[in-house]
Amino acid sequence: MFRYALFLLLLILLAVVLQQFLPAFQPLYNARIFLLLAVFLCISVTVPLPVVFIYALICGFLWDAQCALSTDKLDLSVFPTTISSLRFGTSILLFGLAGAFMHGFQHLFIQGKWYVSSVIAGVATFIYNLVEYSLVDFIRGSFTVNRGVLQQIGYTSLFSALVAPLVFAALFLIARIADHQIIAGKRPPNRFGYSH
Amino acid sequence: MKPLNLIALLCFLGGATWALTRSDTSVRSIQAAYYSALSPFLKAGSAIETRARNFSKEVKHSTELEVQLECTNAELDKLKQIEQRFSALETENARLRSALEFKQNTPFTLVAARITRRQTTNWYKTVEINKGEESYIGNQNPVVTAEGLVGKIDLSAKEFSTVILLTDEKCQVAAKVEGSPEVGIVSGQRADYGKIPKLRMRFLSKNANLKKGQRVFSNGRGGIIPANILLGTIESVEPGALDSEALVVPAVNFNELVTVFVIPSAKSTQ
Repeated sequence: MFRYALFLLLLILLAVVLQQFLPAFQPLYNARIFLLLAVFLCISVTVPLPVVFIYALICGFLWDAQCALSTDKLDLSVFPTTISSLRFGTSILLFGLAGAFMHGFQHLFIQGKWYVSSVIAGVATFIYNLVEYSLVDFIRGSFTVNRGVLQQIGYTSLFSALVAPLVFAALFLIARIADHQIIAGKRPPNRFGYSH
Repeated sequence: MKPLNLIALLCFLGGATWALTRSDTSVRSIQAAYYSALSPFLKAGSAIETRARNFSKEVKHSTELEVQLECTNAELDKLKQIEQRFSALETENARLRSALEFKQNTPFTLVAARITRRQTTNWYKTVEINKGEESYIGNQNPVVTAEGLVGKIDLSAKEFSTVILLTDEKCQVAAKVEGSPEVGIVSGQRADYGKIPKLRMRFLSKNANLKKGQRVFSNGRGGIIPANILLGTIESVEPGALDSEALVVPAVNFNELVTVFVIPSAKSTQ
């Protein structure tokens, strides 16, 4: 398990790097392949809950390091209202919630239904983005959901669902390398070439 | 709940609380460390994005050429392709010339920068530029083009910076309307996915007498954006109960931005 967890950490760091090469698709309402979240969600069904929380801390921290905006220091006599943005650390909570949601469907993955887990990864991405946008709305004091927002969230979720099988394939490979069982009854062959 | 899960949850919440209570300075230093660690990958990532953008433009051009091919002979098409390349070079030349003239004529000290990545976050309208603290660029420095205000620096790392665009709700600029005593605050609008995202000018007087096409300039109040930088033109005015708001068409075409200029703070350029 320890080796597997360590490899997953490397996979997360790789996802952070790869995320830099994945721009937003402007014609698709700025939707993006949210690779870091997709990797985290897929990992969430293969590890125990405490490990999910550890990875949520790491992923949320890294995502906020990339995205958090600075706090405005505006002259209040000129600007009567300050427009806030999400605080550094908010993504940690959101990753935690999304991971816990995904972990709730772990039994399906253990039964070998990785395709269902892929769809759920898309659903979890939808919830993550919707909650994140709603939080932005909430702290800015008005509720603005339009077709563009839903399209952006929808496409991003679709991309996550499509990327998830590739991530699961990577996780199966990592599990085999780390000699760790992530699906019931499919223990990887040991070093002498036969299964348990 | 199992004890181990409970302990993990408590540790997780503790970690999240620690992160949430970091001061702005700590967050900036965390982000600076993060970006310097990722710096080599960011450069490669921006190069790929630029290549992808150029490729999509080329694909668009070749589709247009295919239509023309049906009507004209191959020789003429070859000439047209050559002409098109010249035209692209000429446009680029004109753009660079205009940028150079802008830099020479402007009263500010400017640092020219190229946009390397667009829309790096989910919900905030930001771009990354290839100049940072090494070029004396600091947080909150205004970013302009020959057309007008682009935004302001949100985070400056060693070799590059993040710019929050004027089209983002968070980028507020004190503004005045040309030929009118009206002043207000201009900012972007949330969830504006239009081809030309509009700006909002708030806190105008209740009976603001403004006409379509009147230009909106920064008025220099607030100490971040210098006065008399063009922001856009009035499109419409919506009267309210206490004050009125105007929709403003931005002067800058944010989709076509390639080169921008940062006005470094006076302290950093000395």
